[in-house]
Amino acid sequence: MIELITGVLILIGSFFSLVAGIGLFRLPDVYLRMHAATKAGTLGSGLMLLAAGFHSQELETIAWVLMGIIFLTMTAPIGAHLLGRAGYLAGVPMWSRTKGDALAGKYDSQGEFLDGYQSRK
Amino acid sequence: MNLFLLNLVLALVWGAVTGSFAPANLLFGFVLGFFSLWLVRDRVDRRNFYRPARIVRLIWVFLKELCLSSYRVARDTLSPQMSFRPAIIAMPLDLKKDAEITLLANLISLTPGTLSVDVSSDKSTLYIHAMDVDDPAEMCREIKEGFEHLIKDALE
Amino acid sequence: MEALGQTVLGFATMIAFACLLVAFAFTVYRLMRGPSFADRVVALDFLMLIGIGFITVKAVVSSEYSYIDVAIAMALVGFLATVAFARYIYRRAQTTGMEPNEELEGGPGHGGAAAKPAGRPGQGGEP
Repeated sequence: MIELITGVLILIGSFFSLVAGIGLFRLPDVYLRMHAATKAGTLGSGLMLLAAGFHSQELETIAWVLMGIIFLTMTAPIGAHLLGRAGYLAGVPMWSRTKGDALAGKYDSQGEFLDGYQSRK
Repeated sequence: MNLFLLNLVLALVWGAVTGSFAPANLLFGFVLGFFSLWLVRDRVDRRNFYRPARIVRLIWVFLKELCLSSYRVARDTLSPQMSFRPAIIAMPLDLKKDAEITLLANLISLTPGTLSVDVSSDKSTLYIHAMDVDDPAEMCREIKEGFEHLIKDALE
Repeated sequence: MEALGQTVLGFATMIAFACLLVAFAFTVYRLMRGPSFADRVVALDFLMLIGIGFITVKAVVSSEYSYIDVAIAMALVGFLATVAFARYIYRRAQTTGMEPNEELEGGPGHGGAAAKPAGRPGQGGEP
């Protein structure tokens, strides 16, 4: 029973990792690849970690695994956001079929917003 | 937080009164304390009383959203002709505190299909790169009524 | 039931290793090919996640769970590396207005970027 659940979780996790890898290969834009790699990758790895924790049936491994999953969940979006922002400022081109760009004229060359608002502190 | 600590103190008091600090007894004391605080919730702190339930609901909605949109992103990635139209959209914000805006940006970046790119310097707009957007106003409305509403409820 | 569980687990670990290997190959392709620096940083971050996947499945197969400590350490290091690279791109973009890749190739115009500083649609990225 334990092994059945572990096997199913590992299958789903590896499927999502494969989807993320295919996404890295096929998608035509940095930002889209970031969507695939960070999110589907985190989900896949998280599920595999969960499977390992469940398979072990020991409390210390389960604690480690939960800590790892919480860490991945908290830090993966931060990394993706930072990369996206840095890439946008550096001028990485977006895909030609992109619909619209709401950030188009809003930055100056230093990455500060052009409306010049002093944020309240 | 104060309510939770009060509940713990009541559990300990129950353990002292009945003379046994066994975990089952303390748990029962916790449940009794919860029930007695529920009876006087109007006097104690009505707003904070159901806060853990709202936080749990936020986590549950997030997990459900993650599973649903992972399936959608998998379908989009594996489709032979890539029929999605990405865009960067600007979403006006209602949250004002930094911690809440961070939590919202993180949750948006975690659900597949959206990635938060930047926050304007007066914290009034959040720019989001979305993978498949048919109507920017529709997507703004979804995120507002979904995550932002829940975060506002849970943390304020 | 026990035999079913055993066969499913064996099957699943084999498929998992195969999937991770294929994803690894795709990522290395993107690492080499990626037209911009940010592509390569994304590929490195994903390599870390695939490494975590490999180590975790190995831990399940061999029932030796101290491997998972290595996986957690890899997650930490991978996150730090991604943040460091992102900050590097940001700082270079602030001072030179170009991406590190374009800088190395001698200026914009080698990948479709013609105006600074914002990205814009219409200049297709390469698949």
